[in-house]
Parts: sequence; C-alpha cells; structure tokens
Amino acid sequence: MRLDRAACACLWLLPGLPFLAAAGDTACVTCHTAQTTHFRATPMAQALETVAVSDILKQHPDLAFQEGPYQSRIVRHGDSSILTVTRGTETFTVPLLWAFGRGQAGQTYVFEYNGAFYESRASFFYALGALDVTMGDQNTKPQTIVEAAGRHMSSMEARDCFGCHSAGGVSAGKLHMEAISPGVGCESCHVAAAKHADAVRAGDTSAAKLPHLAALAAEDMAALCGRCHRTWSQIALTGPRGVGNVRFQPYRLANSKCFDGADSRIRCTACHDPHEALPTNLASYDSKCAACHATALHTTVCPVGKTNCAGCHMPKVELPGAHARFTDHQIRIARAGDPYPN
Amino acid sequence: MCVCGSSPAARFGAIAKPRQRGTDAFVCQPRDVARAIARFAWLALWLAGAAWCQQPPAVEEILRHAIALHQAGDVAAAIPEYRAYLKQVPGNVMARSNLGAALSRAGLYEEAIVEYKKALESQPGNAPVRLNLALAYYKAAEISQAAAELARVVAEQPSNRQAIFLLADCDLRLGENKKVIELLSPLEPQSPDDKALIYLLGTALIRDEQTARGQVLVDRILRDGDSAEARLLMGATKMSVRDYAGALKDLKQAVELNPQLPDVYSYYGMALASTGDTPGAMVAFRKELESNPNDYTSNMQLGVLLKQEQNYAEARHCFQRALGVRPRDATVRYQLATLDLQEGRTKEALTELEKLTREVPAFVAAHVSLATAYYRLQRKEDGDKERATVLRLNAEKQATEPGVTGK
Repeated sequence: MRLDRAACACLWLLPGLPFLAAAGDTACVTCHTAQTTHFRATPMAQALETVAVSDILKQHPDLAFQEGPYQSRIVRHGDSSILTVTRGTETFTVPLLWAFGRGQAGQTYVFEYNGAFYESRASFFYALGALDVTMGDQNTKPQTIVEAAGRHMSSMEARDCFGCHSAGGVSAGKLHMEAISPGVGCESCHVAAAKHADAVRAGDTSAAKLPHLAALAAEDMAALCGRCHRTWSQIALTGPRGVGNVRFQPYRLANSKCFDGADSRIRCTACHDPHEALPTNLASYDSKCAACHATALHTTVCPVGKTNCAGCHMPKVELPGAHARFTDHQIRIARAGDPYPN
Repeated sequence: MCVCGSSPAARFGAIAKPRQRGTDAFVCQPRDVARAIARFAWLALWLAGAAWCQQPPAVEEILRHAIALHQAGDVAAAIPEYRAYLKQVPGNVMARSNLGAALSRAGLYEEAIVEYKKALESQPGNAPVRLNLALAYYKAAEISQAAAELARVVAEQPSNRQAIFLLADCDLRLGENKKVIELLSPLEPQSPDDKALIYLLGTALIRDEQTARGQVLVDRILRDGDSAEARLLMGATKMSVRDYAGALKDLKQAVELNPQLPDVYSYYGMALASTGDTPGAMVAFRKELESNPNDYTSNMQLGVLLKQEQNYAEARHCFQRALGVRPRDATVRYQLATLDLQEGRTKEALTELEKLTREVPAFVAAHVSLATAYYRLQRKEDGDKERATVLRLNAEKQATEPGVTGK
C-alpha cells in the first residue's frame, strides 16, 4: 500500500519537522533589525503569499491555459484571482487562496474545495511568463473537470507544504491555518524563538538561550536545511532518482566526494547566508572553495581556470517540467557527456 | 474443546460464530465458550474417570466442585479449586488442561499457556490440549507460537479442519501467504463451496499477488449475492493492483454491509490513506483496533501515521503491538528503531539497525537510517560506508526497473 504523498510541485517535507508556534518576525526585528530586514527581502521569506498580495497575479490579470479539452483561466477581480476551468458546457469556478513559491521557477496556487486543499494543475512559470502544467503532474491526465483544476492534497501533504512555506501554522504535527504566517520566518529555523523573545523581555538570560545554529557541523546543518530542502536520507529512501533530485541540494551536496559531515567548511551556510538574498555572481563563491582547495595540488593543476569554480564543478541542470535550470550541488569534475550522477 | 471464533474463517461459520465487535477480539461468544468448556470438561471427566475413583473422596470432591463451577461459568472460583486439586494430584493431565481452559477464559493467557505446557509434558501427543495451547498463544497475540503448535496438531490430525483453518489464519497474519496456499489448495477441489476455505485461500492468493486465481475465488463467493466478505475481497484485490479509488468504493460498501467483519476497517483505512484521506484512515484503523487490538496491519499503519503527526508515544505503542504479533518482522523493528532515532536514543537505534542490516542486507531504509545514526555518533567512516551501500543498492534496484536510465 502507499502511505506516501504524490510528488507535489514544491519541495516536499518528510515527517519529523518539529514545527512550533512562531513568534513572528515583528518580535525579532526589535533586536535583530539587520537580519530581519534583509531576510524579509529573500525568496524564502516570500515562499508563500496570499493571492490578494501576489505580484505575479496582479501583473498577469488574465492567464489562460489549454490542456486537451480543458480550458483554464485565472482572472483577477480586485484582490481575488478566480480559476475557471471549462470543458464544453461544463464549468468549474473557484477562488484561488494561496500562492506558493517566489523562487527561480515559478508559482503554484492552492484553493479549497469540499473542505480540502487542492494544488492548482496549472502553475505560473517565470521562464514562460505564462501557465503550464505544475511540476509533478506532467505524467497524469485529468479525468474530471475538478482534476483539471487541481490535485487533491491529503491533510498531511497540506501540513507539509504550508509547514515549509510558512511559519507558525504547524504545531503538534497538525496544520492550524488560523496561526499561519506566510513565508519562511525566523522561527522556521530558530525553533523556540518565541520563548527566547519572552525570556528577553522578562530579563531571564538563561531561558533566553537559543541553539547556536552557526556552530552546527555540515551534517547537522544539512539536516536543518533539509527539513524543507530535503535531507540525503529522505531522497535516498524515497527518491526521486535521476535528474529530478537536482533541486534537493542537501542530498546532492552530501553525495559530493568532498563532503565531510564534521567539517563546517562544507556546510550549507558556508556558501549561503540564509538571511541574505542569493548571490548570483559565481566568482563570489570562489573564496568558499578556496577555504579547502587553496593550496591543494589539484587546484594548481586545474587546466580550465582559476576562478568561477562552481561554473564547472557545480553545473546547471535543466529540470524537466520546471522550465528552469538548477545548480547541481554534487560538487565534482563534471565532464561533457557524463551521465547525471545519482 | 474451546475453539475460538475470532479467525476470518469463522465469518462463514466454519469454526464458530463470528466474534462480537467492541469486546476482546479473541473471546468467543460466552454461550459458545460455556458449551465448549462443558463438553471439554465432561470429556476430561470421562477420560480420567477411572483414575478419579481411586482418589480419596475429599480430593475427588474438590475436582468435582471445580468442574461444576467451571461449567456454571464461574471461572474465577473454579481456578483456585483446580489449583487446590492439582496440588494433591499434580499428574492429572485433564484437570490441568481444564485449569488452562479456565485461565484462558479469564483472560489469563500467559498462565493458561504454562498449564497447557505442563499438561503436554506428560502427554505430548494430546492433540486437543495442544490445540488449546495454540489458542491461548493466539489470544495472547503470540501468533508465531500459535502457528508452530497448530502445525504440530495438523501434522498429527491432517483432517482437523478447525486446526487447519486456524493455522491458515495464523499464517496469513504472519504474512506467510505461500504456506496458506500450500495448506489450503489441496482442500479446495473437495470443498469448492466452503466459504471459509475460499475466503482464506482467496486472501492468501491476492496477498501473494496471484490476483487472477484469487479473483476466481472472489467470483465464487459473489455467486451467492452481495456480501461484506465479497466486497472486502474485491477491495483487497483492487488494492493489490493499486486501484485505490476502486478499492475504496468496495471497502466502503463492505463496511456498510457489515462493520463487524474482521479486517474490514483495516483495509478501509488503507484505502483511505492511499487516496489521501489520512484523518479518515486513522479513524478506520482505530475502529479495527477497538475490536482487534493486536491487528498487525492496523497497528503498523496507524503507527506510521501517528509518527508522521509526531505523536511518538502512541506510535510506539502501536508498533510494539505489531511487534508482539510478528516478533521478527523487519519493517516494524525498523519503525521502532527510527522512532528511537527521532527521539534521540541514537545508540539504541544503532544497535537495532546494525542487527537489521545484517539480517536483511538489501533493506535500503535501514541502511539509510544506520548512516544517519553513525553520523550522529561522529562515526564518519561507518556513515560513509552505509551511504555507499545505499547508493549501490539504489543503483542495483534502478537497473532492474524498465525504462529507467538513471540519466
């Protein structure tokens, strides 16, 4: 039997994430002004938004998508976006509620129908500037007009999607929509930040202590980030195999020959500051490689170049259906024509 | 002889009347039990009659009193009487067996097992006592022990259909589908309309993925009109070919037709979980466990769902119950080890995972968790070794999957 979820458009959370009630970043900004302010501008902080504030839907007030006999349209009316699917004389209309994703690929929508959440079958893709079939749904064909509108999400799938794309909505393993704060928040990583804030206000320094995330080793950091970006264990256990796993960076990184779980120089935050926007200038990462490879023999003999290491050793890979290329975090000597190492 | 009606074959009246929902899963209807015990007790009296007559009158009176209490259903009073008698006449096998029956009736299965075993030490060839021992094991959820004893009974009494069906039921619970097929297939041509046999054999065939042959048996049950049993089998068949939506419809009907049918909520729960209704699945598994607390599948599946909800204490309880039914089951042992890992008992998890990977070297999930445990304990080399094993096993598996290139 199958107790797992179907692959959804977004990254996919496996069980075990200890979500706690979020303090909300308003409590954090008072003391941690720079980090909070910078973080608010990152794609992670905007990983979920209500349809009312979705810039993409505002900028694209009439989106259309044809799939076989089904015609889908997302039309803006004030602060709402209404999805209408038609087939002949049959029509299904539903207001979209949530917009998932502000990353490099696109945005997927979620609506409610008959008391359950549904993931929209059509997503907006930046590269196309238009709608196309949502990632993960390419190999299915809708049999009904409701299926053409979206895919039913199980309660656990909804919990996991909202759990990663928001803060505060999941406690004791259950989704509480009334407590949700859209987008990744401070407490998504800094678990128990609410208690910390309370203790600071009360002047209780011992109770104010939080786990020092900057001291985590590579393995533990991969486990922390992997709660949402997926860990090596999760992908090794449930897949996907092949190029489909290129977007699960902690898994790819842990497969690298140079990955050492005890070495902080190869941990996620060695290259990525989660409080800042992602640098896209490849040369800015060279110093990270040099932390280990500056004096190593193979660096001096690299026949290709001395800069932009990641350009060759972490090649971009086209992810089918995503209309986007992802950086493969499995650091390696990537030769032209080599198969995708899995 | 007490033969409980809790096995699936009992659904068709082959063994005894079906069990009552909402009571102990392994307790027969009281009237059946009383009758069975009475028959057994009188048989014991008859067999031991000559020996009794030679006992001093006072001792004889104790036993007579014990049997009278037992027959009247007052097992609480009968037990000390039997014990008092056996203190003076420890070699009376039938009195000891009666004590076992009374203990079993009182739900004291472990103590009943002790008495039955003592009785069998004196008379190892006593098949009725061995059958009762098997039933006590069955009721105590020690299914593998029950199966071992039943196999001995069947070997001695190859035409004892009650023992055969109960053995088949035990083997089904143990996941030994091929054994069930081997046991029941020879009986099928002689009893083509025996619904208990068809049900057990059909279930084993479907679980063994011999769906076509299983379907023939389902159709044979359907000839007699719509029934919960037929719907359950059809649902199970559809589940086996991953037609979850179709299975859900059949299983919903099965639940409506007879919510007291053993296993019906277990299958219904699996269909609900497979179609995304996790809360509904949890309710269904709990309903199955209300009437059958030791149901392996419901305990396992509910445990997995509870674990996903981070309700680790209840998940552990479910897994431990499942382990009680299948003590060597790798899947449930793995689930318990991952719970340990989740709750920070890394060393305990490590010990079990090392054992599991030695026993089942191709168990990818166990290797994955073992790698995690090694890394948590700062044993990088061992962790790397496990990761390499996982990648190798995944690559081997991938190579056997049609249409997958790995690129």
